[in-house]
Amino acid sequence: MLEPVPLDENGLTIKVGNMKKISVKEFYKIKKKDLSLSLITHPNTMQGDITTSFLNRPGLALTGYFERFDYNRIQILGETEISYLQSLKEKDLYNNIKETFVYNIPAIIITKGLSIPKQIEFLANEMRIPIFSSRLSTDKLFNSLRIFLQGIFALSKTIHGTLVDVFGVGILLTGKSGIGKSECALELVERGQRIITDDVVKITSKEDILVGCGTNDYGHFMEVRGIGLIDVAKMFGIQAVRMKKRIDVQIELMPWKDNMDYERIGLSDNFVEILGNNVPIIYLPISPGKNIAVIIEVVAMNHISKLFGYDAAKEYTNKLQEDLTRKAKIRENQIEKKE
Amino acid sequence: MIRKTIKIVNKLGMHARPATMIVKAATKFRSEFKIVKSDMEINGKSIMGVMTLAAEYGSELELVADGVDEEFLIKEIAEMFAAKFGEE
Repeated sequence: MLEPVPLDENGLTIKVGNMKKISVKEFYKIKKKDLSLSLITHPNTMQGDITTSFLNRPGLALTGYFERFDYNRIQILGETEISYLQSLKEKDLYNNIKETFVYNIPAIIITKGLSIPKQIEFLANEMRIPIFSSRLSTDKLFNSLRIFLQGIFALSKTIHGTLVDVFGVGILLTGKSGIGKSECALELVERGQRIITDDVVKITSKEDILVGCGTNDYGHFMEVRGIGLIDVAKMFGIQAVRMKKRIDVQIELMPWKDNMDYERIGLSDNFVEILGNNVPIIYLPISPGKNIAVIIEVVAMNHISKLFGYDAAKEYTNKLQEDLTRKAKIRENQIEKKE
Repeated sequence: MIRKTIKIVNKLGMHARPATMIVKAATKFRSEFKIVKSDMEINGKSIMGVMTLAAEYGSELELVADGVDEEFLIKEIAEMFAAKFGEE
């Protein structure tokens, strides 16, 4: 089944379950310079992990209201929070902060290089919660911190393309709108191959493999230019579709260009990076009268054959090389005899 | 039509890499391009054709170009052979 895709405030997809994390120590090492961070508390307070890309301004928690307190996020204290804390009587400040620090907060960042009451520092050291000071404004800090954390936690994305299963090889077809990805997928379906999704592919990186699926669970609908929407499963039968598939190869369909450097032998492989994974990519020039579906099947079979350790390009060129060496030796011997 | 006889001077002979270089260079031109080796004549713009020649070190080839830019084609290809395709 398709898993529902959670979206964060920016509409970007985030990964559910089996989440990545980054230790506070590592975070400090990487972002110290960018965010102009300095550690206020003792270094041994940096012991936790950041497990979410979200940030939080504790606000009400500092007043003693802990309902829905997102303690597992990095807490940002700006001018508002600091001036509030400074307005508190010493005893109230102590109690409120102590109550807040009971929660397992990964890290606290004070913005604008503001100074904090000594008591907070003392309690943070005591309760092992790292406090950083940043010279950036709250807004700037929020932005760059979020971009950084999203880069770490965003492990899925959607791209424009069509995903097909050809002889068990997951092939991601990409290329400009109208180049014929959908038509190509239909022809593959006609030839007994299966379609996962057309137009929009949601790609999730799971460990070191990429899995693609559709973005909704409406079924396998597809738009064919000039006809409109069709239901592939209803039309071609259930064997023509599948829910998700590992992505093995990307094929970029492109209009034929005379001066483009197309692969001629196949000895060198091109790769493209998707969510940190290298995917082999084939730039396939298309021109009228060319049967792209057959070529895509050939790509799939060639891929399988390489997995089994047989590389046709290598095989041929090795044979050629042997032939050349043999013939060059014969020639050498002949010349020596003449002399 | 121009004809030019050249000799393979790189030790490895015309293996896959030089063959690809020749084909890629030749396809830039509009002229027809053929390579002749003893009784074999192949299309110099076809990778399989060029590799089929299996032209070893020391063998002789005849380059034949025919078309509007024939001299430029022959000049560029002959230079590649002479430069040993950047090999030994």
